[in-house]
Order: sequence, then structure tokens, then C-alpha cells
Amino acid sequence: MQFSENLRIGIKSILVHKLRSFLTTLGVIFGVAAVISMLSIGEGAKREAVEQIKLLGTNNIRVNQLKLTGEQAEEAEQKNSRGLTYRDGQLIRENLPSVKGVTPVRFVETEIMLGNKESNGRVVGTDETYQWVTNFHPSEGRFIGALDVAEAKRVCVIGSEIRSELFGYRNPVGRRIRIGDTWFVVIGVMEAKTVKEGKASVIKLRNINKDVYIPITTALKRYTDEDRPNAVEEIAIQVEKEDQVVPTSEVVKRLLNRTHNGVNDYEIIIPAELLAQSQKTQRVFNIVMGSIAAISLLVGGIGIMNIMLASVTERTKEIGTRRALGATERDILGQFLNETIMISVTGGTIGIILGVVMAKAINLFAGWETVISLFSVVISFGISALVGIVFGIYPARQAAKMDPIAALRFE
Amino acid sequence: MLVEVKELRREYVMGETVVKALRGVSLNVEKGEFLAIMGPSGSGKSTLMHLLGCLDRPSGGTYSLDGTPVEKLDDVELSRLRNRKVGFVFQAFNLIMQLTVVENVEVPLIYMGIERAQRRELCLEMLKAVGLGHRPNHRPNELSGGENQRVAIARALVTKPQIIFADEPTGNLDTKTGHEIMEILQGLNAKGTTVVLVTHEMNKAKWARRLIHMQDGKILRQLVGKEIQQLKDLFQEMPEA
Repeated sequence: MQFSENLRIGIKSILVHKLRSFLTTLGVIFGVAAVISMLSIGEGAKREAVEQIKLLGTNNIRVNQLKLTGEQAEEAEQKNSRGLTYRDGQLIRENLPSVKGVTPVRFVETEIMLGNKESNGRVVGTDETYQWVTNFHPSEGRFIGALDVAEAKRVCVIGSEIRSELFGYRNPVGRRIRIGDTWFVVIGVMEAKTVKEGKASVIKLRNINKDVYIPITTALKRYTDEDRPNAVEEIAIQVEKEDQVVPTSEVVKRLLNRTHNGVNDYEIIIPAELLAQSQKTQRVFNIVMGSIAAISLLVGGIGIMNIMLASVTERTKEIGTRRALGATERDILGQFLNETIMISVTGGTIGIILGVVMAKAINLFAGWETVISLFSVVISFGISALVGIVFGIYPARQAAKMDPIAALRFE
Repeated sequence: MLVEVKELRREYVMGETVVKALRGVSLNVEKGEFLAIMGPSGSGKSTLMHLLGCLDRPSGGTYSLDGTPVEKLDDVELSRLRNRKVGFVFQAFNLIMQLTVVENVEVPLIYMGIERAQRRELCLEMLKAVGLGHRPNHRPNELSGGENQRVAIARALVTKPQIIFADEPTGNLDTKTGHEIMEILQGLNAKGTTVVLVTHEMNKAKWARRLIHMQDGKILRQLVGKEIQQLKDLFQEMPEA
């Protein structure tokens, strides 16, 4: 018998018991919707983590100065460690010629003024490599150059939010702003970058759109910290390829261990490892959530099977009649299997729509990033069809194997 | 010869006992015959009809329908044979309730693989022939018993079968409607269709031209023509099923 005939018969018998069919479908609808929304949360969290870590750069290693407790500070002093310094960065560059870039970062706590307007941005002393290492470039003007660093010039590049805060729509390039007690010429404006402070944050990111970049040498010279004259807060190291990250970090660790005389006053962060770590956690989360969703789908499937078994019994006489009129066992099997698959696939389709709506709602009300991937839609649809086949095959076989004579006599 | 049956046996295993429903039946039916099978409950008349109608396979003996040896066929071949050569009319009509009249008539044509448009045309024609051309889109529960049985007859005839098996076709109908149904069957027979009627009602069996009296899984006797008309007295001892 043709498939289209089976389809027509299936639709008819589903429509005869509208409420029953709907209730049966409901199990699959919720199961699939759960799978879709759970996967979307997982996918969203994953993407958020990836985005954040990409902002740090997966080919990068970050060395951060640690805030020391009293005891640690004492130890550092005893062992004569001055914390992370500009010199450390230069040492890394000299000893590891294979690295692509080494960028020192120093934060300067001071006010940024334009006339009477004050901005709450952050002053960052760095060098010309910063834009490459962090993959963050100016949209107007230029970034700090090697000459600016060498001559400790009083130039600055401002973040996009500082620009709108202080200059509005005016062109800031070439104008002067006051940072602390010193006047600086604005030579460029950085591009705007989306920095998400989402729920799934792996690392606390500062809003780099509020940075003001000045040459590191200028920062060290003009805003000297008396206790730690050459101190930097961070050194960003970029390697050529991702697989060099770990070996390079090992070397950096040994190097710093020597210069810091064995004092652990710094930490080495490898974004790629953080990413792997977060993905591992995410995977566990996905498996747990996916399992819960799958169980609800299973329950839905059992519901379908239950109804189909009842339906087979109820339609015994119809089965007998169809057999008498020339239906083969396969025809009957196809008829009932087709009906189950139709119920579950319809449920799956509605479930996908509901799942997408739920994902949007979660995003809207809970603020969680959710991403519907094509994969999750395909897999949900596939699973719902599979549920139809798996839970439909038994009732359909029951129907097909029925003795036509007994079925005809059934009252 | 349309039906050739030799020493047909059918046994059922029910728990530990073996029920011998047919104990060796031999029978020939020629094209165009009107045959009645009579007998009390448990006489094997239904079993015989199911075997002849290709719904069941015998435990022993041979059966050939229109030259095809039935006992050797598998499910698919048996279903195909049933679909093309056999038409059934049941006591309880056996219409599918969720389908309309015309859709019910279409069912055997679906299994035959006939295209939808052609199917519809054939069915409407057949419904007209049984006097229901004006109600193709009604549901069975909107029709009377007699009308339902006409639909069932149309369904049995739409495949142009070689032989029609009517199992107590008037059992659920009043006398007048029953009579009408018998007239239809007789009309069909007059046009050349072979009709096998299974009944326990004397007055219905009298429509047949040959009568087979069954008892205990065997043919007790066969009556032809005038012999059937004189049956009234002969069957008085037969218990009603």
C-alpha cells in the first residue's frame, strides 16, 4: 500500500479522537520542548564562555600580579621579590623569542578630565603590542606606537565609551585631556567591543570600552608607585599557535619563579585552559539536563505506547475487517506505526516551537543567554521520530499479528 | 471449477485439547453457483467459510481457488488473493465507523493499489448499483441497518470478485430488509457472481440452488433445487444456532 494512503488513514484516525490524540502528543511536546530549551541554555552558556575567553585570546597567556596578604607580603619582602614588573616582561621577551608578543599592562588610579567633565574610566599603561595581543584595535586615529613608548610621550588612546562620555559627537583626535596632573593628546579612539557580564562568567572582565591607554613608560615615569617603581599588574603573552600555550606557560613559570625568588606573588592564567575547563563543566551540566529532558521524552513515549495499545484493542474489529478486505500484515503494521510516528513527529514539531519560545522566555526573564542550534532542532526532531518508531513498533506488531478470524469475531 | 476442496481439515489447539473443527470436507463449487451452507453452531460452517475465503489455512487437505493452491500461500499472497478474488459480507456489516460510506467501499481498492480518483469513481458507481448513490458522504451510524449492509455489499463487489461469501448477512436485519438484501444477492448471482451463503435460517437458505448441510465438521448431506424447497420438515430436528 502506498505511503500516502497510510498517511491519510493515520490523519483520519488521529482526528477522530482529537482530545485523546492531543493529550498523547502533549508528552512528546513537553519532552522535546525540554530538550530544546535545556540544550539552548547549555549552548548559550558555552557561547558566552567562548566569547569571553576569546576576548582574552585563546593564544594568550596572562600573568597577573596577585594581591598579597600580610603574611605573603612579608615573605615577598624577605625573599626580595618585587612582584610583577616591567622588567619581567622584557625578560620573557628576551628569553622566549618564539612568542609573538609580550604586553605589559599597568593600571593607574587617577582621574580623567576634559575641562570640568570627569570620566570614571581606567587609565592603562601599555605598549604598542597591546592591540595585536588582545585583538583590540583603534577605529579612529592610531594606537600607541613604539616611538611613543621609547620616548615616554604624553599621548593617549581612549575607549569608545570614554569618547562619548567626554566628547559626545565631536572628534577627539588631536584634543587634549588631563589624566591626573598631566595633559595628554588623544591620538586615537578604540573600536567598541561588547563585553558581556553574563551569568556564566568564567573570568571577571573589566569594561575595556572605558579604558584610556597611555604608553607604559609614561605610566611608570609619571605615576610612580614608590614601593614598587616598575610594577605592572599584568603581562599578556601571545604565542603563534594554540598548542604552544601550555609549554610556553611552563617556561614563563620557571622564569618568573627565578626572578621572583620562588615567591608566588603572581598567577598564570591560560584562557584556553579556562575554556576547556568551562566546557568540561558545561558538558556535565548538559548531560544532566539532557538526561532529565530525555526522561520526560521517554515518559511521553510510554504514554503514546499505552494509548496505541488501547487503540489497537479498540480497533480489533477494524483490523479484522481490513485483513478480510485484503490488507497484509505489513499493511496493518504500517498503518499503526505510521499513526504513532505522526503523533510523535507532530508533537516534536510543536515541541520545537514551544522549546524555542521557552528559550526566548528564559533569556528574557532570567537573563541567561540561550542559543538554539540547528543541531538541537535536528536531534529533537530525530528523537521524537525515533520515539514514535520505538514505542509504536510493539502496538503495531500486536495489531499486525492479530488472527483475522478472531479479530472479526471480536465484539 | 472455481472452488476445489479435497479432504479439508482444520484443527485448533486449545490448551491441551485439540479441537477438530473440520474433519475432512470435499466440495466443488462451479462459477455462477448460489450455494448455502447450513448447520448448527459448532458444525464447522464458519470454519469452512473462513478457509474458503482465504482468511485461514487448512491443517490438512487441499484447496484451490480459481486454479490457485491456497494451502501453499504465505500471508502476502493469501491477502492478495482475498483482495482480488473474494468478497465478504458480514452479519454485523463490519463497516469502519470513522470512514464515510464511499471511503468504506474504497478500502479494498486501496489495498489493491488503485489510484484515488479512479477508486472514487468505481465506488460511486457501485453505490449507485446498490441504491445508495445519493448518500456517499454519510457515516455508517447515520444509515439504517439495511443501508449499512448495502454499503458492505458494495464494498464486497467493488473489486469484481469471483466469489462472494455472505456470513449470516440478514442476521441483524428485520424480515423486510433481510428480504431486500437476499434479492440483491440473488440479482448478483443472476449476473454471474458466485455466492456462498452461510446461514442457519431455513427461509434464507431456500434462496440458494444448492445446499450443504454440515454437522460435526463434516458434510452431512447436499440438497439441490426442489429438495431445498421441501426442507421445512427435514430440518425441524436441527437446533437453532
